[in-house]
Amino acid sequence: MADSDEDFVLSSSGDDRPKARGGAAGSSRRSTRKSKRADGAPAPGATRREKWEDIQRSWDNVVEGADGSIAGTVIGLLEATKRKRLLRDTTPIQRGIIRHLVLILDLSSAMLEKDLRPTRFLLTLRYARDFVTEYFEQNPISQLSIIGMHDGLALRISDMGGNPADHLTALQEKAFTVEPKGASSLQNALEMGRAELYHTPTHGTREILLIFGALSSSDPGDIHDTINSLVEDRIQVRIVGLAAQVAVCRELVMKTNDGDDSAYGVILDEGHYRELMMAATTPPVTRTEQKSVPSLLMMGFPSRTVEKHESLCSCHSNLTKGGYICPRCTAKVCFLPTECPCCGLTLILSTHLARSYHHLFPLKNWVEVPWSEAHTSTHCWSCQTPFPTNQSQTSPIKIKIRKPSAAAASTSNGTAAPEKDRQQPSLLPPTQRYACTDCKTHFCIDCDIFAHESIHNCPGCQSLSEEKIKSRANMWPPSTKNGDIDLAAVGPTLSMRTQVAEATRMLENSKIAPGSSMEVDN
Amino acid sequence: MGSQAMKSFEHLEGLSEAIFKRLYQQPATALAVFRRMLPNLAKTFVMAMLFNPDPVPVSSLEACVHPDQNRLKEEAFAKLRQLYIVIERQGTFALDATFKVELRKALTGGGAPGSFGLPCDTEDKNRVDIAFLDRYAAEQWESILHFMVGNETQSSRRPSEGVVRLLLHGKLMEQNRASGTVITQLGFSFLLQEVNSQVWTLLLLYLDMAEQLRMDPVDILHFLFLLGSLELGQDYDMKSLTPTQKGMLEDLRDYGIVYQRKSSSRRFYPTRLATGLTSEIRSLRSPAATLANATPGNDENGFLIIETNYRMYAYTNSPLQIAVLNLFARLISRFPNLVTARITRESIRQAISKGITAEQIIDYMTANAHPQLRKNTPILPPTVVDQIRLWQIEGERMKATSGYLFKEFAANMEFNAVCKYADDIGVLVWVDKNKGMLFVSKHEQIADYIRKRAQSNR
Amino acid sequence: MDKVDGTEHYNFKAPADLATLQVIILDTNPLAWATFEKSSSLSFPSALSQLLIFANAHLAFSQSNRCAVIANHIDGVHFLSPADPGTDHRDPGEADLTLEDLKEIAQKNASKYRVFRLLEDEVRASYRRLIANTTPEAVMASPNASYLAGALSAALTYINRICFGGMGGRSGGVPGEEKSNVNSAGGKVDETGRTMHAKILVVSVTPDPANQYIPVMNSIFAAQRLKVPIDVCKLRDSTVFLQQAADATGGVYMEPEHPQGLLQYLMVGFLPDHLARQSLILPTKVDVDFRAACFCHKKVLDIGFVCSVCLSIFCEPPEGAVCSTCQVKLDVASLENLGKPVVLPPKKKKKKKAIDSLPGSGVASAADSPARTE
Repeated sequence: MADSDEDFVLSSSGDDRPKARGGAAGSSRRSTRKSKRADGAPAPGATRREKWEDIQRSWDNVVEGADGSIAGTVIGLLEATKRKRLLRDTTPIQRGIIRHLVLILDLSSAMLEKDLRPTRFLLTLRYARDFVTEYFEQNPISQLSIIGMHDGLALRISDMGGNPADHLTALQEKAFTVEPKGASSLQNALEMGRAELYHTPTHGTREILLIFGALSSSDPGDIHDTINSLVEDRIQVRIVGLAAQVAVCRELVMKTNDGDDSAYGVILDEGHYRELMMAATTPPVTRTEQKSVPSLLMMGFPSRTVEKHESLCSCHSNLTKGGYICPRCTAKVCFLPTECPCCGLTLILSTHLARSYHHLFPLKNWVEVPWSEAHTSTHCWSCQTPFPTNQSQTSPIKIKIRKPSAAAASTSNGTAAPEKDRQQPSLLPPTQRYACTDCKTHFCIDCDIFAHESIHNCPGCQSLSEEKIKSRANMWPPSTKNGDIDLAAVGPTLSMRTQVAEATRMLENSKIAPGSSMEVDN
Repeated sequence: MGSQAMKSFEHLEGLSEAIFKRLYQQPATALAVFRRMLPNLAKTFVMAMLFNPDPVPVSSLEACVHPDQNRLKEEAFAKLRQLYIVIERQGTFALDATFKVELRKALTGGGAPGSFGLPCDTEDKNRVDIAFLDRYAAEQWESILHFMVGNETQSSRRPSEGVVRLLLHGKLMEQNRASGTVITQLGFSFLLQEVNSQVWTLLLLYLDMAEQLRMDPVDILHFLFLLGSLELGQDYDMKSLTPTQKGMLEDLRDYGIVYQRKSSSRRFYPTRLATGLTSEIRSLRSPAATLANATPGNDENGFLIIETNYRMYAYTNSPLQIAVLNLFARLISRFPNLVTARITRESIRQAISKGITAEQIIDYMTANAHPQLRKNTPILPPTVVDQIRLWQIEGERMKATSGYLFKEFAANMEFNAVCKYADDIGVLVWVDKNKGMLFVSKHEQIADYIRKRAQSNR
Repeated sequence: MDKVDGTEHYNFKAPADLATLQVIILDTNPLAWATFEKSSSLSFPSALSQLLIFANAHLAFSQSNRCAVIANHIDGVHFLSPADPGTDHRDPGEADLTLEDLKEIAQKNASKYRVFRLLEDEVRASYRRLIANTTPEAVMASPNASYLAGALSAALTYINRICFGGMGGRSGGVPGEEKSNVNSAGGKVDETGRTMHAKILVVSVTPDPANQYIPVMNSIFAAQRLKVPIDVCKLRDSTVFLQQAADATGGVYMEPEHPQGLLQYLMVGFLPDHLARQSLILPTKVDVDFRAACFCHKKVLDIGFVCSVCLSIFCEPPEGAVCSTCQVKLDVASLENLGKPVVLPPKKKKKKKAIDSLPGSGVASAADSPARTE
């Protein structure tokens, strides 16, 4: 798998990005791991090594500090793990924001295994619940449907719809009450999923997320026919395997994702399971091969009303006092976003649209600050946590420093450096500072994660005037150029509209094709 | 855990209106009463009225409470009336004038100098640091507890006469001809409380005793509340204190609540026991924990591990803690830093017969749970907790509640209305619809209510 | 005997016990305040004093309550309290509020509860520093400067640190790992791992920073995730951003009619904490303007067209069917199939020729998705 990088050609001047990260962005996690392995192997492109041949021993990296404690290394490792999750491709990429996804849960007897606690079945359902919430949080104008594989049949749990509450109730009522039983049938479930997705509009994505606990499938016909028809219908399939890799699953994923199997993951433990599953909440990258046709959608922006007397809402026929009035047919609905049950107009709030913007313009990754630059800050800019002071330089570590020059070299090399640091946890105790490349502000690891996972803003860039940011342009770290357009940095100067235009134009220029060459859209 | 400390304040609630009015004359007291004795909603009401020059119509206050939260609202109103903080006049609420002025002073800092303690203006040559104060407080307080459980080891001294007198007065201990002073049932349940409520219990006893000694309770309370607002590690001048309060200092020093280098010194340092007086419960678990608590959020002071099989491992060598454990568990073996014990039906029954309640035992174990145990939710194994409760209930076939019976209502409607009201304010204990009788734990408000109804009907 | 049920003791982590962190975001733009003062006779110093009394009232609620003040100044965002920790490493336990140089004043001034005093002194001192570093030119150059997004982001990261131990909003954590983290933070936590509740109060005199739409919205969603209400006290010019912020996060939005009485508004509307809010009906604006403005003509719409790629909003299909924002060729043909609305609102202007020219296609197709293609 180490050679899978060759499938991709990076964007024109993307050389400042790590090698593997240019790949399918939907699976940033996996690709980071890959690149790690690639570095570990002595000769890249040598004989392919299987996963188990490459054992990483955590104790190899442990280095005693001058005082004989390993605290520094431990903090370093901890932060490295935290950050590993965080590093993702930050190139603005066209993503399918309007999604249609079918979640297929395995409810076969294989789910009674207790290798995941409490059982595979219960854990899966719990994660499914979290998934539904997270999915709609991330993709407010998307739709979801849930199907179960039970006793050789496909079991419909919830219909295609945009209301998380409906799915959660359906899960509670239909999935939790089912006793996992019999074999699972990939074909039946996929066919049912395909039928669900068949009618979805072309501008949205069509995806299936399959949780597969069994190692076999009992199908009525030829699964390959189903796979081909999935490809024909432009449906992308992601699979999370709970037991081991299954050949047909790999083929299924490869074929529906243009030969890229990174969307097939087999879990290592509970945490990894969750990670793989939640990875599917990020909107997928739109492939150049025009998977979906961009189009103009007519939408209604209803206003909220509060009535004196209760009246029936047209979606659930419940008595409610407040609600939203469809601007076209003045029907009252109680939940947004939804489709007006009377006239079929998509009703959303402008805030729902805004919720998706951060997928289009991700926040740049911050870089780890080396000790040579650490003296400029004493505490995290935004949460006021004090940083460790520079004691390691006064008492240098004598034992077992593998590459003492590595840290020094990396500072002078600039952008390439942080990547290296990340690959092999630095042997010095970490500075625990992370810097935004635009405003040069230093943050702690928790704020780094919080900013990238929740706020999607750089608190520093947003809080400094344009001139200040400009005046800091020459400070460390150098700004990352091209591709990585940080809107936050450009923000104060441009109106939102031009921002979007700018960014998108750039993105068009540096779009990454999954195939072999880079194409410019139309 | 909070309830225990709250209980100590119930005593204060019984004070008369005149005393309350005088109490409110100090900003520190007004603030402490506001903070510690009012339910959350009542605080909100007080704040809403505080800077409003006019009385507020009751109806407008009621209107902003969710209709289904009636009980909380009634509770808040009742408490405000009980503490004489609000005055109800013709359907409007107004804050008690003194209270209003003093609380405003507390918030805006407009009080007289020294109303929150007068720091010494000169440098103390023998300045003590916070660590020392913590050590001092822990030592003093633990010596009292050690004395109570009757192990006066080399580490702890016998507390002063005043303390012993107080313990005897409060019936925490009693004179026994054979073996001198021995601990009472009340004393045992005292031991199981957390430190903050222990301190309060003792101080309230002190207050009680002081009244007999003709000391002014208002003066004492003022001083106690003032202590709660002082700054740890700061030395304060005795100048601004009244003679009564100066006299108190000596006693408080014995308890470890304040530190004075020598009794003639004109400065005193409050310890953490003092500054925690008006703070929330979160603070102090055991005197030893006081030290660990110097950094809040650091609760790594638990030492108890309880397993689902009723075995208990206590990582401690403190004779006090072992003695306390011995109250409700059967000790099996003792190692230099570990005691193993077992909770049995017998041991719990024994504890209960001494007047310790299951709740107290559970609270104690929760409060002192080992960090390892703390990772679980709930912290203690539910089986053990349930079983301890069951063992207690075995002996409680009957539960006595003191209260008042209302009967012979004129009309059924009246009866129903009163029932509903009693339920709303949370005093309803028992009701028999057929016989038209209801039993409540407190009667003042109900009587008021009935009177009002009668008036409005007329 | 029926009193024995095991359910009771599962609840000992009552949320009631958690304290509250109040973060106040205060506009300190001198020019905006000066303009405001003319119209309302509420000067900045008096507003600041009233805010400090409000902060004291918040701290008076409970010993463990905390308060932080963030200034939204003309040249960026500054923490007024806790002030820049600078070099000193103080014991985090003795509150973030202590300042060595304030001890001196403290000696003399003891008429104030120490927690209140420390906060006030710190805020005033930092504010004086802030103003000292501001040149008149800078003030004149930026009459409406506001870093709302930055201030909100800073407030949220601070809340994340204080209330969640830095672990808040963690989307995909390992359950076991998270658990231990929560406990190492110690103390009481509720099921989401928070050790404190938090709320944000924005006191604003500057207009919406229109260029910060995306970052502000991002902050609002982050606040929503952390369940942190954003209260808004808008003294001048009503604002759409902040209205939406208050609405989306369940906060209170108020535009005081009599700004001189700011304190009373603060005490009644914004003081209630998490617990009290559950049982109170707070004065807030009910009808929030949710309508969107189109990107092409800035018209406020209730029905519009949205580009499926970049989600830009248009009031009519753009020229040549190319999205003016992302330059993607859009499939306008899909609109052709649109069903005509069953009932056309009489006053509504015609949306688009394509729709108009279409014959009414009846109920059946109207029930389809509007953007459906076949």
